Amino acid sequence: MMQAKLRDLLITNILAIVLGLVASGLMLLFLGKNPVNAYSVLITSVVRDGYTFADIFVKATPLMFTALAFAFTYKANLYNIGAQGQFYIGAVIAAAGSLLLQNILPGWLVLIITLLLTIVGGGLWGAFIGFVKARYNSNEFLVSMMSTYVALAIMNYLLRTFLIEGKAEYPQTDALAASVWLPRIIPGTRLHIGFVLAVLACVGVWVLLYKTPLGYRIRAVGYNAGAAEMSGINAKKLYMLAFFISGALAGVAGFTEVNGVQHMLVQGFNPDLGAAGIGIAILANGNPIGIIFAAILFGALKVGGTIMGQMSGIPSSIIELMQGFVMVFVILSYFVRTWLENNREKRKLQKAVAK
Amino acid sequence: MGTAFFELRGISKYFAKVIANQDVSFSIQRGEVLALLGENGAGKSTIMKILYGLYKADEGKLFKDGKEIKIDSPKEAMELGISMIQQHFSLVPAHTVTENIILGNVQGVIDYKLFREEIKKLAELYGFELNPNDYIRDLAVGVQQKVEILKALYQKTNLLIMDEPTAVLTPQEAENLMGFVRDFTAQGNSVIFITHKLKEVMSVADRIIVMRAGRVYGDIKRAETNELELSKLMIGRDLNWVTKDDRQESLDQEVRLEIKQVTLQEKTGVPALKDISLTLHKGEILGIAGVSGNGQRELCEIVCGAILPTKGRVLVDGEDITERKIRARIDLGIGYVPADRSSDGMIMDMSIAENMLLKSSYDKKWQKRGFIDKKKLNQYALQEIRDYSIKAPSPETIARGLSGGNQQKVVLAREVDNGEKVIVFDQPTRGLDLGAVNHIHQVILKERAKGKSVLLVSTELSEIFALSDRIAILYKGEIQGVFNSAELTTEKIGLLMAGFREGEVSNDAG
Repeated sequence: MMQAKLRDLLITNILAIVLGLVASGLMLLFLGKNPVNAYSVLITSVVRDGYTFADIFVKATPLMFTALAFAFTYKANLYNIGAQGQFYIGAVIAAAGSLLLQNILPGWLVLIITLLLTIVGGGLWGAFIGFVKARYNSNEFLVSMMSTYVALAIMNYLLRTFLIEGKAEYPQTDALAASVWLPRIIPGTRLHIGFVLAVLACVGVWVLLYKTPLGYRIRAVGYNAGAAEMSGINAKKLYMLAFFISGALAGVAGFTEVNGVQHMLVQGFNPDLGAAGIGIAILANGNPIGIIFAAILFGALKVGGTIMGQMSGIPSSIIELMQGFVMVFVILSYFVRTWLENNREKRKLQKAVAK
Repeated sequence: MGTAFFELRGISKYFAKVIANQDVSFSIQRGEVLALLGENGAGKSTIMKILYGLYKADEGKLFKDGKEIKIDSPKEAMELGISMIQQHFSLVPAHTVTENIILGNVQGVIDYKLFREEIKKLAELYGFELNPNDYIRDLAVGVQQKVEILKALYQKTNLLIMDEPTAVLTPQEAENLMGFVRDFTAQGNSVIFITHKLKEVMSVADRIIVMRAGRVYGDIKRAETNELELSKLMIGRDLNWVTKDDRQESLDQEVRLEIKQVTLQEKTGVPALKDISLTLHKGEILGIAGVSGNGQRELCEIVCGAILPTKGRVLVDGEDITERKIRARIDLGIGYVPADRSSDGMIMDMSIAENMLLKSSYDKKWQKRGFIDKKKLNQYALQEIRDYSIKAPSPETIARGLSGGNQQKVVLAREVDNGEKVIVFDQPTRGLDLGAVNHIHQVILKERAKGKSVLLVSTELSEIFALSDRIAILYKGEIQGVFNSAELTTEKIGLLMAGFREGEVSNDAG
C-alpha cells in the first residue's frame, strides 16, 4: 500500500509539472514562439556553465527563507503573507548594521551581529502581527499583508535619508565593504554560505516542529486551537511566538540577499520573494524539507527564465506564468491522489467481500 | 402479507476503507412502525440516507409498491412521500415556525395568513401545541422536533424516517413522541425509527430490523422477541453489565472537591449557572442528570478551569483553586473528558501517541534534552492501547482513522492518568456502541475504587443510575436537588429534569 502511495505521489507530481509546462507552452504558441525550442533553451541554459548552475541555488536561498516563514505560521493555522515586508526589514537592518560596524569590528563578527539583528528585527516585526491577533483578535492575514507596505515605506524613507549613498544620487546605500560579504562556497560563482544557512534553517524548522514540545504545541494549536486551549496550552502566546519565528526567518532572507548577493541595499529589490515563498510552501505542502527541493525548482525556473528571455526574445514573465501553472497542477494533484486512494481502498473492500 | 410499501433489496454501500452497508434487504408495510436497531456505526443512518436520496447505493435496488424506483435526491424522495428527520435538526432559528415549514415549498408572493391557518389546522389534527408565529430559537428542543415533524406532514409524507429522535428529549417528551407515532401509523402511514435504545424499540415498534457491521442480523416481530435477544443480536456477544453489588459505601470519606455558590453570568445576561453548590468526596461518583444544554458543559468547564465563575469558589482538598488556570489544574490532578471530543478533547490529525501528550507537553517526563522522548511516549501509548483495548495498529495511527469508541478510549486513557484526584466526565459514552460503553463504565468504577472522585455528567439516565453514588439534577443552570441514587425513580428524575421542584414531584409521583 505504501508503494502505491509513493507511486501516486511521484507520478502525480511529475505529471503536474509536465502539465504546467504544456499549459504554459500553449501560451508560448499564442506569442508565436516555438515552445519546444523555448524549453530546450531553458533546460540547456541552466546547465551551460557552473556559474549559471550555481545561480539556481543563489536564487533558491531567499526563497527557502520566505517559504519557511509562510510554512511555519501555516502549521499553527495562521497566515503570514507579509514575508515580503519582514524580508525588507531584515534587509534594511542588514545594510544599516553592516555599514555601521564594518569599519569598527572584524568582518566575521559584523556578520554574526548583523545576522542576529535581522533575526530580532524581522522577528519583532512579525511578532507585532501575532500580538494584535492575540490581543485584539485582528485578522492576521490582513495585518501581515498591510505590514508589507509599511515596511516598504520605512525602507524607502530610510534610503532617501539616513541610508542614502554618499553621493546622494539614487535611493540606495553605499556598497558594503568586501569584509562583510558572506563568504563564497564555490569560487567563480555567486554561491555564498547563505545557501547552507537556508538548508540548515529548513532542517532546523523541521526539527523544531516535529521533535520539540514547542513545535508540538504549535501544531496542536494549528490543528485544533480549542482542544489545545482546553489542554492548558496558551494559544495566544504561541501566536506571537510563531509570528516571531516566522518574521525572523523572512528577515534572514534580507541578510543573505544584502550581505551575500547585492552587497548593498537598493530600493524595492526582489519584490516577489514573499509571494513566491507562499507558492513554494504550498508546493511543498508546508513540509520544511520539501521546501528545500521546491525552492530549488523555482530557483531553476527563475534562472532559466531570465536566460530564455535574453536568448529567444520570450518575455521572462512567461516563467512566472509557468510557475503559476505548475503550482495549480501540483495543488490539483493532491486531490487526485486522495481520489485515487479512496478508489483503491473501495476496490479492495469490494474484492474482499466478493471472495 | 401483501406487497410491501417500500422495499430495499440487496443494498451495498462502500465508503473508502469502510463497508457501510452490505447486502441489506428489508421491507416496510403500510401502517407499520419499523425500528432500525443497531450500535453506532452499524450502518443504520447510511441505509436510511440511501432511501432518502442523500447517498447513492453501489449495489442493490429500491421498490415502492412492488415497482422499482430510483431515488437520486431528497427532492425525489419527498415526491415519493418519504421524509427524514435528521439527528441534528435542519431548522432556521431566526425564522418562525410557519416560515420554516414552507421553506422550499413556496414561490412568488407568500400569503402568510393562508399558510398559518393551514399549519395551525395540521398541528391541531395531531394534537401538537404549537404557535405558527413563534421563532424557532425560542422553542424547546422537543417542540423544535414537532416543527420538523410538521414540516414532513405538510409535505404529505407517508413514510417518516426519524434518526435517533429521542436522544434530545426528556422522558415525558419522548412519551409524547411515541403517542404521535401511534396516531400517525394508525392512519396507514409508516414510520422508520433509527435507534440504539432497546426500551424504545420494545415500546413502540411493530417489527425490528437489527443491524450490525453494515448487515442485517435480524428481522423480527416485536411480539416474538425480548430485550435480551435483541441486545445479543445487536452486539453479537454477551456483555457483563456493571452492577452495584461490588461497591462499598463511600460517603464517610473526606471531601475532595467543593463547588460553593457558583454563578456564571453569560454575556446575554442570562445566568448559565445559578448559585450551584456541590460536594464531591473521595471515592465517590456524583452523577449530574439533566437534559443537555442546561448548564452541564459550563459546570464541567468551571471545574477544569476553562472558564471562571462570575461568583462563587471552587476548592480541591480545602484549597481555593477558583483563580487557577487550566494548566495549574491539570498539574493539580483534575482530568476532564469533554462531551465533544473532536472539538475539545483531541486532535484528530495527530497520532494516538501525540494525543496522549496533549495535556502534558510541558511535563519534563516526556522530554529528553529538550526534545520529545518519542520512544518513551510511544511505549506509553502502546501500553495504553493494550490496557484500554483500543483497536489501532500502532501508537502512530492518526486519531481520525479510529472509530468513535476508540477515539473516546484514547481521551479516557489520557484523562484517567491526568486526573489523579478528580475526573470530570461529560457524556463519556454518548454515541458509542454498547461494547465501548461497557468498557468505559468499568474504567470509571475502577477509578472510583482507587479513591478518585468522579463528576459524571450524562443525559442517559441508565448510565447515571448504573454508576452514581449520588445524583444531582441540573435544570436551567440550577440544581433541582441532590439525592442518593437509591432514593430516585426514573419517573421522579424525569419530572425533576423537566423543571419540577422536589416538593411538586413528591406530590405528583410519590
